[in-house]
Amino acid sequence: MISRRQFLTHALRGSSLVALGAVVPEFVAQTARAAAPGKDTILVVVEMTGGNDGINTVIPYADDLYHKARPTLRQTKQQVLVLNDEVGLHSGMQILKPMWEAGSLSVIQGVGYPNPDRSHFEAMDIWHGADPTRKATTGWLGRASGEMKNRDGGVPILHVGAGKAPLAATGAQGSGAVSVGEQNNFKLELGNSDRNEARRKLLVEVSAPAKTTGSGEDDPLLFVQRRQVQTLTAVENLRELLEGPNAVRGFGGGLQQKFQLIAGLIGKGFGTRIFYVSLDGFDTHADQGPAHQQLLTQLATSISEFFRELKETGHDERVRVMTFSEFGRRVTENGSRGTDHGAASCMLVAGTGMKGKVVGKHPSLSDLDANDLKYHTDFRRVYATLLENWLECDSKSVLGAKWDQVKDLVVR
Amino acid sequence: MAAPIPLNKLDPVEVWKPWKPSAAEPWDRKWAAHLYRRAAFGASSEGLSRAVKDGFPNTLDLLLKGQPKAAEMVSTLNDVGRVAATRDAEGTQLRGWWLYCMLQGGHPLREKMALFWHNHFATSIVKVRDPNLMYRQNILFREHALGTFGPLLQDATRDGAMLVWLDSNSNVKGKANENYARELMELFSLGVGNYTEKDVREAARAFTGWHTDGTGFRFNEAQHDPDNKTVLGKTGAWKGDDIVKIVLEQPACARFLVRKLYTFFVSEIDPPAALLEPLCDQFRKSEYDVAALVKSMLASRHFYSDHAFRKRIKSPIEYALGAVLATYRRYDLSDPHSRPLAHQSLVRWLTGMGQTLFAPPNVKGWPGGRTWLNTATVLERNNFASELVTGVVWLPPPDQQAFVVSVDVPPPKAFDPARVIEEEKATRPEDVVTALLDLYVPGGVRAEAREKLVAFVADEKPTGLQLARRAREAAHAILTMPECQLA
Repeated sequence: MISRRQFLTHALRGSSLVALGAVVPEFVAQTARAAAPGKDTILVVVEMTGGNDGINTVIPYADDLYHKARPTLRQTKQQVLVLNDEVGLHSGMQILKPMWEAGSLSVIQGVGYPNPDRSHFEAMDIWHGADPTRKATTGWLGRASGEMKNRDGGVPILHVGAGKAPLAATGAQGSGAVSVGEQNNFKLELGNSDRNEARRKLLVEVSAPAKTTGSGEDDPLLFVQRRQVQTLTAVENLRELLEGPNAVRGFGGGLQQKFQLIAGLIGKGFGTRIFYVSLDGFDTHADQGPAHQQLLTQLATSISEFFRELKETGHDERVRVMTFSEFGRRVTENGSRGTDHGAASCMLVAGTGMKGKVVGKHPSLSDLDANDLKYHTDFRRVYATLLENWLECDSKSVLGAKWDQVKDLVVR
Repeated sequence: MAAPIPLNKLDPVEVWKPWKPSAAEPWDRKWAAHLYRRAAFGASSEGLSRAVKDGFPNTLDLLLKGQPKAAEMVSTLNDVGRVAATRDAEGTQLRGWWLYCMLQGGHPLREKMALFWHNHFATSIVKVRDPNLMYRQNILFREHALGTFGPLLQDATRDGAMLVWLDSNSNVKGKANENYARELMELFSLGVGNYTEKDVREAARAFTGWHTDGTGFRFNEAQHDPDNKTVLGKTGAWKGDDIVKIVLEQPACARFLVRKLYTFFVSEIDPPAALLEPLCDQFRKSEYDVAALVKSMLASRHFYSDHAFRKRIKSPIEYALGAVLATYRRYDLSDPHSRPLAHQSLVRWLTGMGQTLFAPPNVKGWPGGRTWLNTATVLERNNFASELVTGVVWLPPPDQQAFVVSVDVPPPKAFDPARVIEEEKATRPEDVVTALLDLYVPGGVRAEAREKLVAFVADEKPTGLQLARRAREAAHAILTMPECQLA
């Protein structure tokens, strides 16, 4: 029988990863074991940072109360992308019309959780950890990556963005998300030296974890060691993907470029099943109109272009995009043509080959909870639906409890 | 080495008593470097030698007070900053200026505390959009850096950048905007769990009319809600200043700040509340005397123990500036080797590592600790180190370079890590590695890593210029080591 080491050496032939030998982390070993590329389903999660105004995303245009509550921010039936007799998408998202008509888009209304938190950070933690008590130190996607099968192998979660890896993508120690920044700078700078291979080897050797680990998991030294080795390994992996003869295009600043990179990586068979991106700026306390329009246009254009590119490489049917935000915003606009922190809101799920629809009723604009919308669908039910029906993993071990699926959210 | 006593078994009174160096645990380069990593941004090799020679009490005193002329320098520093703020709208020059203050302003602890307050009252130029306002807020943090917390909180509440940052002008009678009231309690003074949603709503009413004219604070009487408010159990026709006073009376305030300062100066391993109680008491009784609290921490037995040694992950600022201070030699201006530090060059690296001054990610500031390190930021640290040891960091951008450089050309002596092998007359690989480790990681590294470094330097027995180049390569590897990421 072929040993794991031999297999690794074989699978990584030609790569300087071979030099990393025994310190290759498990996720690289998984890459090496890649068997049937291009089969696994993929989830791209978009964080709409700041608290997206759900009421002005999936707009209850037919409700007079909406127009009363939003004297300056309201949109009319003529402006929105009409989804049914009651609701429509904000005019900034018109580009999604073909996807909506093809059944490639679902909107889920009235999503939230009990006793909603209106602090950005706490609410964000709750959505990331899938835990309203905020005791979780790992995220739902990080935990899911440990439960999922990964036939393609590869980096379990790729966070595309220059900032820190989000809590949602944080798994057990050393097995969390790998982050790539927006520039093509994910490579080791060693200058032009004939000793570069020796230097790469030295870097791994001086950081390699000791054979015996004396201290506990608390020890920052162990954490830093793992992180350094994980980094050197990911650099080698990506170096091959990004600088080979058919390099992936798409580095750049905005959400659309991030989506281009992801489309490229998927097309290349990179093997990551969970991608994470964020779009910031939704904390629209003042003069919301133009800013929100621009943000939603950016989001809709990115998603639309993303699936167009995936269709070209034949991967569009194996990808779903899910959006979320830490909370929605108050029903009544404030005195500065903006909106303050609210509670229940909407989510979008997009992808080719699903049965897209409007899922759930728009929450009442008169029956409110502390001036905010009441939720009817716990967000963990949406997570559970995607975990079970899309990523095919045990939602209970990820979410800590068995949540009912959202019946009308049909992702396959 | 025996396992240290667990944190929850320590005697909270004993641990905060002043540390006395002993024959078994002397005041040496290990502890001097430890103190300089925390109370400053690192130290040069000569700086550490001087600290060891001066002794522990004098060194701590110097750090707390700053260099003799530090106070006199402030007005000059401020003048330079005021100009820097006008140079570009993005605040790039302003960032370089603050780095100068940190590295060469004569009072690194004051700058470190200013950085702490910048992170505590995290305000971003991305929304404020005015470097002049950011500059003025920075002056505020510098003035109050080691002062008392009450006046700082009052001033921060009236700070121009802060008022823009948290939408104060949107907060009007009848339509309160809760942004400032919430962050005041959640992030600036009490922490979650020590107030209710109702307290936030009522406090927001007290801050109605708490506006800015774009340059500073302006009270808009017409938009102020004059009715009674009940905040944290106290009822009155409160205005903003009253809310700050009420918040400062809460016992949670000292606990919240002491814990945050402990994480910043002592250790990122969460301490039990009981361990911090003596410090909380002291902090309350002193009416929030920050200098006294910081001194208690930095002078304590606990600080010079395994509970604190390398128990923090360096922030990008600490990592980059620490590496720079160890590498750079400040020669007399008359010396032909003298080279000025191009502080501005560091700005883009710090951004890559995840810490853009004047632009924290949100009002909660940089979360710090383990979140500093993801694959992108770790790689940036590695690459920064690579260009630091060759001196490339200090070069102007390629399109402005008057000449071509290559790794074969040694960097100027002032920027050359290989300088130490000449100074220490190190020719044997073991001695070269010892000199470099002593420079970058006083306090030692894992033996197996040390062996690898020696083998690397020894390979093919380089001498002369080749040995110097090998030493730079080894210095790069040392700067990527786990020990070097820890403060």
